[in-house]
Amino acid sequence: MDWLEEELTQALARQEPGAGFDARVRARLHRRPPQWLAVAAAILVTIGAGEAWQQYRGRVAKEQVMTAMRIAGSKLSRVQAQVKGSEQ
Amino acid sequence: MVFSVLWHFLHDRELAEELAQDVFLSLHKNLNTIETAAHAGFWLRKVAVQRAIDAARKRSRRPQVSLEEVAEPSVRPAAGDPMLGEMLRRLIATLPEGPRMAMILRYQEDMDPAEIAETMGIPLGTVKSHIQRSLSLLREKLERRGVGER
Repeated sequence: MDWLEEELTQALARQEPGAGFDARVRARLHRRPPQWLAVAAAILVTIGAGEAWQQYRGRVAKEQVMTAMRIAGSKLSRVQAQVKGSEQ
Repeated sequence: MVFSVLWHFLHDRELAEELAQDVFLSLHKNLNTIETAAHAGFWLRKVAVQRAIDAARKRSRRPQVSLEEVAEPSVRPAAGDPMLGEMLRRLIATLPEGPRMAMILRYQEDMDPAEIAETMGIPLGTVKSHIQRSLSLLREKLERRGVGER
């Protein structure tokens, strides 16, 4: 190793990070998830709940329509039977 | 070792510390892939090298100091002078990424060219060439500034 290489070894000697480096790494390791993540999760839950509610309302409305049609159908059958009876 | 590689490569203490923390957090996530202490050392060096080069590329849009722009000291430092150490660090900071990292691993970590090639993921010949060219360039710049062997 010549004089320049010896100088380089000294010039590039290892540097230590600031005091408390280990503690800062440990703190980052146990850090809570960022706030934006909680907000994003809340938005996704809200959107999901909204869609589920819309689907539920759609199902209820469909059942109501079907019930109404069944009622209307039975009334129509009764009226048709009465009309047939009066003709005979 | 991790912080020091990052600091010598980037010359930004805050960024070096942040990236060093990232490297250790990454090690924690990948602990199940680490087999021995030597493997952990190799892994840490390799990831630190990658992070340092990525960070340097990200900030490469900023104007860089060229080798010619490194200020000449008012007093010529002699071998063993702390001013020479500072001048060398500044000259190394002006080297391109590959040669700069090879020089840091060679003279800070005392790694041989084969280990450097494995860590940096480049051919052995390239590492040898980086080191030889960098040494010649540094010698030439120092001689131009009147610094030489005692």
